[in-house]
Amino acid sequence: MTRLWGIVLNWIAVGLAEDIPVGTVVPRRVDGLDLAIWRSGLGRFHAWDDRCPHRGMRLSHGFVRGEVLACVYHGWQYNLDGACDYIPAHPDLTPPKTICANTYVCETRNQALWVALGTVNGDVPDIGDRIPIRSLDISCGAPAIARYFDHPQDPLIVLRGKYDLAIALQPSTSRSCFAHVFAGAGQDKKIVSRYVEKLRDELEAA
Amino acid sequence: MSDSSKDHWYPVGLLSDIYTPRQTLLFDQEISLTHDDTGFVVKKSGGVSLPTIERFGHLWTSLGQPDHDLFVIPEADTPGRHLVDVGSVKVKCSPLRAVENFLDIAHFPFIHTDILGAEPHTEVDRYKVEIREGVNEVWATKVKFFQPQAAKSAEGGIITEYMYRVPAPTCAVLYKTCPPRPKEWDIITLFVQPLTEEWCEVWPWMALYDDDSTMAEMVSFQQLIFMQDRSILENQIPLKLPLDPGMETPTQADMTSVAYRRWLKRIGYSYGAQMVAA
Ligand code: FES
Ligand SMILES: [Fe+2]
Repeated sequence: MTRLWGIVLNWIAVGLAEDIPVGTVVPRRVDGLDLAIWRSGLGRFHAWDDRCPHRGMRLSHGFVRGEVLACVYHGWQYNLDGACDYIPAHPDLTPPKTICANTYVCETRNQALWVALGTVNGDVPDIGDRIPIRSLDISCGAPAIARYFDHPQDPLIVLRGKYDLAIALQPSTSRSCFAHVFAGAGQDKKIVSRYVEKLRDELEAA
Repeated sequence: MSDSSKDHWYPVGLLSDIYTPRQTLLFDQEISLTHDDTGFVVKKSGGVSLPTIERFGHLWTSLGQPDHDLFVIPEADTPGRHLVDVGSVKVKCSPLRAVENFLDIAHFPFIHTDILGAEPHTEVDRYKVEIREGVNEVWATKVKFFQPQAAKSAEGGIITEYMYRVPAPTCAVLYKTCPPRPKEWDIITLFVQPLTEEWCEVWPWMALYDDDSTMAEMVSFQQLIFMQDRSILENQIPLKLPLDPGMETPTQADMTSVAYRRWLKRIGYSYGAQMVAA
């Protein structure tokens, strides 16, 4: 469980699965915490601290080689468990088990990508059969957004309405959020996308 | 811990740039550089003049009370070398991170790919590191590494030998095999001006035997290398250099870095350092 601004969030959305292609790594920020999210060659998602245990380089600048993530600075390779299993400067060395990236539980469910920063508690939120629309950066804290919609603060705000919207919030700092937006199956992505842009402008003005 | 950081000499400008007045920062404080009939004048914003030294193509000053002269590099005085002012690059990182990166060879194949290193030649053999007590400097010697193109004047891959020297907390001198003159060392330095604890201005300077390249080529080669390093330096977390063990994980290839951090701690240098694990 993670406590953000006094409320408990078990799962936090960090993106749309389709935005992170196989074999890539991207940076994501949750409440000031920097994460590297990567997708292995076989398609599995992983969320780690964005910091290489060797010399602190951001792992999100690294590169995915099949089922390992390699740090860009000295090429140390980390396997799916986060354990370092190859140090290029010492090719014959078996790295001690203690060299390990800090990992979090990371799950996809219906195209939405979620991490649990603490102990996993409760099911991964369900967006149902909605389709992914897009992610938007909003200069507004998560509590203000929940208040605006008169919705209890929750990682998933289900609005329904004309487009059957659901918005998964990723609080990036105390005053900004990423909103990962989903709409009912069959909705026109362009139209919904334009609608949520307007929604963002209203939120930022409010 | 009493902090000795200010009691050292720091580079603040190029001697070749004498007619351009310069406003800059040193340890978060504004200073100005001007030139009059008597020479260079460095002043704090209140008007207090600071001491100066002119050496290695750069102007040096201090905000504290250095009890020592600025170090020397006797080898740089041997005739026939080209003295190259590279200019400066500002980097958003601790001055100490910039020096530590300069002391590191293991990143060559990954960051300076096909220039200073190349896979699969990634292995770093054991080398010798010591803190030389008399002079109070960190030295790494017998450092050997494969280089596909060791310098502008090198063609094809060779094993290059290096010596690294840290004569002052934010300065490092690299002595490196010199392809045209096997008995001599090329000299490449990194002089770092601490602007703030997480922002620095880096002044590389070189004394090279290279009769094939123009000055402009030697400068742009070194600038390219440093731009590649900058992409790392601005993305290390934390931006300050952790001096307490535990936060990062050195291996045998990092012996120079370990000695450098230990030495900084020993001399009570804390500006740009992170003392407690975050
Ligand atoms: S910092 Fe990641 S391998 Fe060195
Ligand atoms: Fe480098």
